Amino acid sequence: MSSADSSGARTVLDRAADRMLDAGVLERVGIAIASTTLALLIGLGIVAMSGYNPALFANQLIIGAIGSEAAMARTLRLSTLFILTGVAVAVAFRAGVFNIGVQGQFIVGGIATVMPIVWLAPLLPSGPIGGVTLIVIGTTSGIIAGGLYAALPGALKAYAGANEIITTIMLNFIAIGIVGWLVMGWFQDPNAPSTRTEQLPEYVGFPQIVFSSSSFSIIGLGITIAVVILVAIVIERTGFGYDMVTSGHQQSAATYSGVDAKRTIVATMTFSGMVAGLAGAIFVIMITGNFTNPDGISTYGFDAIAVSLLAANNPIGVIPAGLLFGGLDSAGSHIQIHSDVPAQMIDGIVGLVVLFVAAPELFRMAAARTGLGGDDR
Amino acid sequence: MTTSNAPPAVQLEGITKRFGDVVANDEVDLTLEQGSIHALLGENGSGKTTLMSVLYGLYDQNEGTITVNGEEQTFNSPRDAMSVGVGMIHQHFQLVEPMTVLQNIILGHEPTENGLIDESVARDEIEDICSRYGFSIDEELDTQIRDLDLGDRQRVEIVKTLYRGAEILIFDEPTAVLTPQEVEGLIDLLNDLADAGHSMIFISHKLDEALTAADDITVLRDGESVGTVKAADTTEQDLARMMVGREVMFDRQSREPTSGEPVLEANEVHVRDDRDIEKVSGVDLTVRSGEILGIAGVQGNGQTELVEGCTGLRSLESGSVRFAGEDVTEMSRRQRIEEGIAYIPEDRQTEGLVQDYSLVRNALLGNQTIEPYVNDGVIDWTAVREHAEDIIEEFNVRPPNADAEAASLSGGNQQKFIVGREIGHDPDLIFASHPTRGVDIGSIEFIHNRLLELRENGLAIVVVSSKLEEIQKLSDRIAVMYEGEFIDIVDPDNVTEEQLGLLMAGQRLENEGELSEQESKGGAQA
Repeated sequence: MSSADSSGARTVLDRAADRMLDAGVLERVGIAIASTTLALLIGLGIVAMSGYNPALFANQLIIGAIGSEAAMARTLRLSTLFILTGVAVAVAFRAGVFNIGVQGQFIVGGIATVMPIVWLAPLLPSGPIGGVTLIVIGTTSGIIAGGLYAALPGALKAYAGANEIITTIMLNFIAIGIVGWLVMGWFQDPNAPSTRTEQLPEYVGFPQIVFSSSSFSIIGLGITIAVVILVAIVIERTGFGYDMVTSGHQQSAATYSGVDAKRTIVATMTFSGMVAGLAGAIFVIMITGNFTNPDGISTYGFDAIAVSLLAANNPIGVIPAGLLFGGLDSAGSHIQIHSDVPAQMIDGIVGLVVLFVAAPELFRMAAARTGLGGDDR
Repeated sequence: MTTSNAPPAVQLEGITKRFGDVVANDEVDLTLEQGSIHALLGENGSGKTTLMSVLYGLYDQNEGTITVNGEEQTFNSPRDAMSVGVGMIHQHFQLVEPMTVLQNIILGHEPTENGLIDESVARDEIEDICSRYGFSIDEELDTQIRDLDLGDRQRVEIVKTLYRGAEILIFDEPTAVLTPQEVEGLIDLLNDLADAGHSMIFISHKLDEALTAADDITVLRDGESVGTVKAADTTEQDLARMMVGREVMFDRQSREPTSGEPVLEANEVHVRDDRDIEKVSGVDLTVRSGEILGIAGVQGNGQTELVEGCTGLRSLESGSVRFAGEDVTEMSRRQRIEEGIAYIPEDRQTEGLVQDYSLVRNALLGNQTIEPYVNDGVIDWTAVREHAEDIIEEFNVRPPNADAEAASLSGGNQQKFIVGREIGHDPDLIFASHPTRGVDIGSIEFIHNRLLELRENGLAIVVVSSKLEEIQKLSDRIAVMYEGEFIDIVDPDNVTEEQLGLLMAGQRLENEGELSEQESKGGAQA
């Protein structure tokens, strides 16, 4: 029979899909860890085949990620940003809205944090009280700006039917362009040798508690974890979260239950953008202390899509996914300096990890959609 | 049509199918004679669909043999079944909504020329099939599926299966979505197909249809075959006893009309559908406390839009809706739920339940702003879970597992869960669209009794149904809807099914024409 092969393959697929669909949370975490390990092993194989010493590479990888206090601080600093931007993406994805504009919202949030602090600093007392006040004002401003900048494509989708994937991507460019123009033309620090805003005052920043690093503070990570938990609670425990997630699962059922689809889209985007704006605020307060030409800022908001995917769009899952990304990114910059292995190799390995971890999740999603493995009795 | 020397079209022997510990089919035998119509009758969860899925190659049986036209077959997939001419028309249509009728019919079997799809060949062939069996969908070949009503979608499914060359057709609850007229049309169609040599099995839990349409009837109960009888030699009561294992009451109990306060008052309501076509053209209706108003009509005459307009799912073109004396025309769906308007939706698959949510999560659907499930925006999952478990227990939802995914439940059990949840809103007004569609007899009785009980408790209820006996059994008054208007409002005690059928077809009743004209002008005043 000509279809024997394909139906045999289908049976295998069907069984695999069954297993994937039945897998519990623990099993899925296990699958993710196994996938990561496998991806790293294959990556090492490629390193070996390219003529480099894989043992040395693995060693450098570990040293670069967690080998020293500086490495740890660097890893956690990057992880903080990946986690926050990752959660911003996850929130929207859960509601079935594809916010590809986290990078733009992050940039807008960053500049909206720096400038109020720079302007208001002379009016407030210096020292801890002024510092905390300025941080609160700046962060609030960053969160609001990020939220508003995301509300725009949300409203365009809800009320004009514009595809949010396209509008958010476009708005990334617009954010980079306009903020770049503002920094260069209006907010440029006249005394700075490079393109950047004025530096935040010394006392506006998070105190060092655990690591003696000028660009990482455990407080920044603490705020991040708290935000993740808050987001998880909003999604799992509030009527708003239920509305949002239900809209993502089955729009018609959400509408039936009284959810206003348009308002939910705008609210979801705003919520997502607020988290992205907070990431921008943490970025300037904890790390840079100023804002440079956004064209040169790393693409945290794009990597965040992979982080979110890795976490199956689960906010809590974004924490380990963000840590993994932070570690790999941190190791990459270490290896670039301390070995002759090209940094692209690290990017390749990161890609493998995403592929390996995300593939089972994608398979799950596909299986659920196509009815493979279900007992549709 | 049965010839003595030809082997049966299908012979199932000793089919056993287990899902884990659950035995869905236990040594079931079934013989489908050539050119005959065979009804497979049973309650929800009795294993009918499982048995047919085995025949259609969706499931592997654990034991037993399948013989088609005298040759034993092993089916690993529906493709194998299709290759020997066995096709299935599913209860939940397997159609791609944004694609056109034509594209759906040829999907997977596209006629090609030089690698390109040759639509004109397909068009001719489909038109040929349509004219042979009297389908009218050939006029809609370029319409997108999502713009068709359910009856038309089913015809697309049937044409699709015929187009693929099926000789043996399995229908999974084909009448569940149809109006009485459409059911009649379908039965005629089945007879035509049988005359043309096709052999058919249709799954049903409706006794009258099995009796009218089928030559043979096999009854399943709890996965076992209770027996096969000739339709000519049996009665509804006998079949009901075989199915349920006890006697079932069918009759309407006459009762006193209510004089309660008006709960729902709709005035000059006009509603447009998604295609911007006016579907409701000036309906007036009043439903009082303690009253059930039945809305009868052929599907697509504006019932859906009227109900959606009243429940807040669709905005009115003009007119007004008052609930308990308050104008709710501008209220959102959510506000109307909070005010106490419940809705058992027409489409439980896409509206009533989130398919990949557990029953616990589904118990919250529509309750997102209702205490005690949500307090100040914060969900109390313990309360929601208790609610889900209460519904499951009270409405005998199977499997009795609040963590089961909604999609894993059979249609009837899904419906029971929805009915339980909507009644649980403690509403003053319930809209019930096809409340027992696809539900087995035992559950129909249960849902009907609950609705009648709620009526006794002073609720106002609107029942939309295409099942006339349901409308007649439940209603205090019956409004017949035709082309967006109430053509008449009649007393169920003084109207026959034939008269209702005529009204649904748009013909006014001659002898009481004047009276009904007045009534329909004056709206639904009891």
